[in-house]
Amino acid sequence: MTLTWLGRAALYLCSAGALAGLVDQARALRAPRASHALRYALVALGGVALAVLVMQIALITHNFSLAYVAENNATFTPLLYSVTGMWSALEGSLLLWVLLQCSLNVAVTWYYRRQRDDGVVQWATLVLFSVQAFFTLLMVGPADPFIHNAAHVLQGAGPNALLQDNPLVAAHPPLLYAGFVGMSVPFAFAVAMLITGRVHERWALEQRRWTVLAWGALSVGIVLGAWWSYQVLGWGGFWGWDPVENAALLPWLTATAYVHSVIVQDRRGLFRVWNLSLAVATFALTVLGTFFTRSGVLVSVHAFSSSTLGPLLIGFFFVVVALGVGLLAWRGDRLRAPIGVDHPLSREGLFVANNIIFVGFALVVLLGTVFPLLYQAINGSQVTVGTPYFASIAAPLAVVLLALMALAPLVSWRSADAAVLWARLRTSAWVALVVVVVLLSRHVTRVPELVAVFLSVMAAGAALRTLRTTFVAARRRGSWRQMWRAPSTGGMAVHLGIVVLALGIVTSTTYAERHEVTLATGQRTVVNGHVIGFYGFAHVNNALLNATQLKVRVDGAPLRPAVTTFHGRNGQTVGTPAIDSTLWRDVYVTFDAVGGTGSTSGAQIQSNLPAGSVVLGVTVEPLLAWLWIGGLMVGAGAALSFVRRRHTEQSS
Amino acid sequence: MRRSVLVTSLVVLVVVAGLSLLLATRHPVTNATETQSPLLGHRAPALQGRELGGGSFSLARERGDVVVVNFWASWCGPCRVEAPELSTFAWHERHRGVVLVGVVFNDSLSAASAFAQHYGSLYPSLVDPGGVFANRFGVTSPPTTIVIDRHGRVVATLLGPTTARQLEAVVARVRT
Repeated sequence: MTLTWLGRAALYLCSAGALAGLVDQARALRAPRASHALRYALVALGGVALAVLVMQIALITHNFSLAYVAENNATFTPLLYSVTGMWSALEGSLLLWVLLQCSLNVAVTWYYRRQRDDGVVQWATLVLFSVQAFFTLLMVGPADPFIHNAAHVLQGAGPNALLQDNPLVAAHPPLLYAGFVGMSVPFAFAVAMLITGRVHERWALEQRRWTVLAWGALSVGIVLGAWWSYQVLGWGGFWGWDPVENAALLPWLTATAYVHSVIVQDRRGLFRVWNLSLAVATFALTVLGTFFTRSGVLVSVHAFSSSTLGPLLIGFFFVVVALGVGLLAWRGDRLRAPIGVDHPLSREGLFVANNIIFVGFALVVLLGTVFPLLYQAINGSQVTVGTPYFASIAAPLAVVLLALMALAPLVSWRSADAAVLWARLRTSAWVALVVVVVLLSRHVTRVPELVAVFLSVMAAGAALRTLRTTFVAARRRGSWRQMWRAPSTGGMAVHLGIVVLALGIVTSTTYAERHEVTLATGQRTVVNGHVIGFYGFAHVNNALLNATQLKVRVDGAPLRPAVTTFHGRNGQTVGTPAIDSTLWRDVYVTFDAVGGTGSTSGAQIQSNLPAGSVVLGVTVEPLLAWLWIGGLMVGAGAALSFVRRRHTEQSS
Repeated sequence: MRRSVLVTSLVVLVVVAGLSLLLATRHPVTNATETQSPLLGHRAPALQGRELGGGSFSLARERGDVVVVNFWASWCGPCRVEAPELSTFAWHERHRGVVLVGVVFNDSLSAASAFAQHYGSLYPSLVDPGGVFANRFGVTSPPTTIVIDRHGRVVATLLGPTTARQLEAVVARVRT
């Protein structure tokens, strides 16, 4: 009972901090005077930090007096998965969410502490406190993580099997949440700029910095999620256009459009209405995504708890959109730029194309995600929208985006001069052509692959050329730090990461080869030039799990694909794939079936196979590791972009 | 200029309000919905072909048993939710005159095989090149489950992910 009261008290403290901050900020705006925002933000952070501490102590010590711990932890859960157990169900995830939101509020109020009497900062703080109060009150009310469990629990249910199978569970959800939460800052500042009417000032660029940080976290979070599902789910894929995946992709798409179009506002004073709309849309989509994930109205493999939060979240979503749209309508006339895009093939023209594609794709994904619900409401029956729909639209758009990445960094602002452009493009175009010819001579003949390679090389060329220009300029001034501070360094690093990622996606999906081989103990076979050998069974039985592993060698490297039963949760059984990964190809091995009558639990039993024989699923996917490398490069580039901005701020 | 911003805002607001209202009134998905189909009460169309594993299946041969036909695809999220339930159902009913058979809907053979292997599906699945069976049964999106009684008549069409319990209830109703 102590933990329940302690946790709840901490949450009350957090909500009190948020609400008091909200009231104080509102009064400061009326007075007008400077507010004590930082103080209240710190109180709220202290409250939620204490609540998190209570939850962590309960999880680590397996204290089942909290119902949440009894449901998501067991006496044998190892330390890592005890800690991550905090975000393996709804209530605890909210705790993490609020912890991140409170930390962000402290960061923002601290960062702008010297401007705390500025109207824009004040309104933005007010919005941030409101968002924080909403999510905190969810935990005080309908999603209480500290419900007391009076029943005597001996062992506990333990986390979902898939949530204790891979250490990435420690990184993927927090990064994703950080990305979601981070998008509240550009939203808050957009609202503040609209209310104060000060839309022409530097705040748009200020917002871009925060957005880039959140965007980077979201990007890496999404890639790590793909990596996780690749390692855990056993079908060799990494993306399934599942509603929950789409929920993370939607704000990523609009945020990507936003970080590009803000540059145009900075350089040319265009797109003000558009940028503010994107900031509002991005935050609204994070709320909508949370709704998709948490309400259970969409069928998803993620199958999170269906909770009563649905109507509250969707109400909040509507308030966010209505506020943003209402303010835009009110201030619309002040915002419009008197000039337009001079030439469609100028830099700003290509930025427009970029924005149309990202936002258009976001609409397509949103439509595909909610279409089953629309159809059901109108027709009363259910439909599924799956990969064929999304992929048929994503593939051509990806091609156009690669082409834009090859062109846009080289095109000048305002004007288009074909001769200048060709001079800048020439080298990479020839290199790309040579690469394609070399690939053709190596019997790589599939058109999508060749197109992707050609455009990727061009895009990489454009990014490298931009980097070289800044490098040369930095060397002339004799300063290496100049290079890191140059406005495009981080962005171009992101572009290079995207190129690597795109090559990984296209090559691995175009040239994936799936095979099934049946092997008796000691037998070897060759799949796609790889020697696959099976050398018997190994049984692992420890406090956490009970697994039947296969001793397999792929080109000499030992692998252990398995079927694993985790104790707790009625003995949930999952297939555990094993992967031999190199820079050039992944060999993905799954334990599919076993012969005989089956003394081995879990795997499918095939009675027509001799006992002791196994069926292995072997998937060979070239360049798959490039996805993860590209994803990390994107994250590094985003971090570089964020740091760079701070340096220029300070030096100017 | 002011008007265009106003009109756009108004349109966006109305659309979002509609969407919010729609989403707020949805209920969490738990069962498939039984729907009307022109096939109900009529003789089931022919269903005969090759199985993923290499065997063959013929609906006519199963006369006298209740046959449950499930259209699925590996790219379909709800099918992943449903797959273990279908295996459970097939296993429970295996000695009670009930046959469960899957039909692969608009999917590559390798992906479908990988899916069936991964979920350890305890029932055979027919390949359907060209979507012939899907057309005959009027299936437009997976998962769709069709229940055929002992006399070969279609008695129920279920859209969406079903559960073992729901199927057992439908089959019990059909048996009597």
